[in-house]
Amino acid sequence: MPVDEAMPSVRPAPAGRTDGTPPRQRVPRDRAAPRGGRRAERLAPYVLLAPALLILLLLRFWPLLLGVNFSFTGDGDRDGLMVGFDNYLELFRDPLFRGALRNVGLLVLLLPVAVAIPGLLATFIYLRVPGHRLYRSVYFFPAVLSPVIVGAIFNLLLAFDGPFNALLGGVGLGPVDWLGDPDVAMFVVVGVHIWATFGMALVVFLAGFATLDASLLDAARVDGASLPQTIRHVIVPSLSRTIQFVFVTTMIGMLTSMFGLLYVMTSGGPEGSTYLPEYYIWFQQGQLNRPALASAASTVLFLIMLVVGLLQISLLRRAVREA
Amino acid sequence: MKQRTVWSAVLVATLALAGCGSAGGSRSSPGGSEGKLVVWDWKSGEPTAAAYLQKAKADFARKHPDVTVEFVAQPFEQYYTLLGTAIQAGKGPDVMLFNGGGQIRDRADALLPLDDYLAEDRQRLTGWEAFTKDGKTYAGPVTLQGHPIYYNRTLYEKAGLDPANPATTWPQFVANCATLTKQTGAKCLALGNKEGFGIQFFLSAFGTGVFTPQEQDDWIAGKRDWTSPHVKRIFALWKETQDAKLNSDGANSTAMFNDSFAIFQSAKAAHVIGLMSDVGHWKDFSEFVTAEKLGVMRAPVVVPGAVPNLPFDGGIGYGVAKWTKDPKVAADLVRSLTSTDALKSFYADAGAIAADTTIDVSQGGPAVTTIVADLKTGKPALHVALSSKTLDLMGRLSQQLLSGSVSVDEAVKQLAASDQAG
Repeated sequence: MPVDEAMPSVRPAPAGRTDGTPPRQRVPRDRAAPRGGRRAERLAPYVLLAPALLILLLLRFWPLLLGVNFSFTGDGDRDGLMVGFDNYLELFRDPLFRGALRNVGLLVLLLPVAVAIPGLLATFIYLRVPGHRLYRSVYFFPAVLSPVIVGAIFNLLLAFDGPFNALLGGVGLGPVDWLGDPDVAMFVVVGVHIWATFGMALVVFLAGFATLDASLLDAARVDGASLPQTIRHVIVPSLSRTIQFVFVTTMIGMLTSMFGLLYVMTSGGPEGSTYLPEYYIWFQQGQLNRPALASAASTVLFLIMLVVGLLQISLLRRAVREA
Repeated sequence: MKQRTVWSAVLVATLALAGCGSAGGSRSSPGGSEGKLVVWDWKSGEPTAAAYLQKAKADFARKHPDVTVEFVAQPFEQYYTLLGTAIQAGKGPDVMLFNGGGQIRDRADALLPLDDYLAEDRQRLTGWEAFTKDGKTYAGPVTLQGHPIYYNRTLYEKAGLDPANPATTWPQFVANCATLTKQTGAKCLALGNKEGFGIQFFLSAFGTGVFTPQEQDDWIAGKRDWTSPHVKRIFALWKETQDAKLNSDGANSTAMFNDSFAIFQSAKAAHVIGLMSDVGHWKDFSEFVTAEKLGVMRAPVVVPGAVPNLPFDGGIGYGVAKWTKDPKVAADLVRSLTSTDALKSFYADAGAIAADTTIDVSQGGPAVTTIVADLKTGKPALHVALSSKTLDLMGRLSQQLLSGSVSVDEAVKQLAASDQAG
């Protein structure tokens, strides 16, 4: 196709020539263009979008639709039969699923801790504590480890007769069944998840620090501000957008990426105390052969993520407006 | 924001109104291809199964030289998840390996009844019940799975106990445990209950010391009286072993496979309820507890009238998918996989007690000889009769019983409700 014929609809209108020569004979050629050509021009953007839309419809929307679809059918003897909201009623009557939802709430409550740890450490690195370069590498290192490896390492460390309890014994404290006590296990798994993932949040914080106005810190120093005062009155306000971003991404990570750790460290136990919706879905589908019930649980998780996503968008928009 | 919320609500409403179809999928789609059989299992990747498979393949090739067989070894942890997905897609393998009991019964509607094809093997092999549902057989048994109580003879000797005469009653067993711990520092029972499997083994192994033979038969036949004092006694016994500190420490955070077996092998515990096939069995232990030092005992009598015996069922077996193109050929492959010659190799290399009990095991040592002798009077394992859902609940309740957060009465009540719901 000649270059001057390409995408005529998006080219600026001819402004005429400045050398006094008449413009080229475009008008007759436009007149000669068939009606179909204009239609093709109108359709062109849609044709260009079609592959992406098809991929989205086939690989995203359709599986989602199927999943929701299956959640209204039965399992086992009732396979393929419409059962209305039976699966949802069973889900909310199941103490295990209710426990999994409670654990989602617990994760949200523990979120400030998961954000504060990388935030504080990034602050120390930015303020150049001795050995800050080493710390930066060490803190980031677990982010490149698979959750399975991390889980296996902590299984050894936290075993009842493992080194952690040996240390406790050394200082005269009794052993703790870190992964076998239902009141403790979920906090331990979340703690390990934070340990394994805060490196990425730390990098985001350091990127945020790169945009921080150093003169503000100098001014604070000149005014005799202490470290806590500097953090509270200079660093936190300057990094508010970064903090909110880390808040949101950490929340999503905690809700969707803990399966590997749970599988390796506790298998949902003890007493079902470390179940999360993802683990519940996997267990119902794979181990108990209940795909329809698992689909219902997936739909509930999808709705939770939808709400979280909408809150996230709202939070980010507000942050941008306030900035 | 408002527009986004509206769109989200529209999306959810559309999805919610779309109900039709089946999560289990259509199971009529054909799988495999002409002249080829695909087999899924979790054993064919193991070196100890190499000779077994070689013999089975050779046997099948003699009968069907024009059919190719492809074995696909799947990781065991993910096996039933992957298989479930394949079954739902209706495009799974032609032949597949199963554990006996709930795992195969839950998926029987995707399998072909094999009674007509395997009729000739009925007498030679044992353990069929674990692969049977509603009177139809869905797999040919390869191994037997049971739950012998193994003990460490060396620890008995160190404690001044007679290794040839382990306890036959519960009070005697508890007394021996106290002596063992006092004299050797070892705990009595190596228990791993992280996944909630410990209670299954305990129910089947020690349950035979509580139930009368009639109660065992009724339980297996589905006539389970959860209000019976003997049922409660088994769960109370489970709790007592913990309260009396007979179990290894941190049971709820110790995995059975392979941590609790490692505790037994390293002589940190004197007894373990183990297996007969796959892992956690006599051959697995032999690196540290040699054949001569490994004892096998029946459950001690807890309630007078009980007749302790070896709980066992069919262990693993191969079934045929409903959608296979030529069921006769696929069933012939199952017959080759359960042939005497192949099973001999499986016993010799992997140590599994084969479903063909005519195989000579005299070279395996005293523990194996005892186990095989006990097969004559053994009864099906009590836990295998329960559904996967009830077993899962029992696992969680067993952890609650150990930690004291649920009473025996409450646990039994919940189990009864789950069992009756089916």
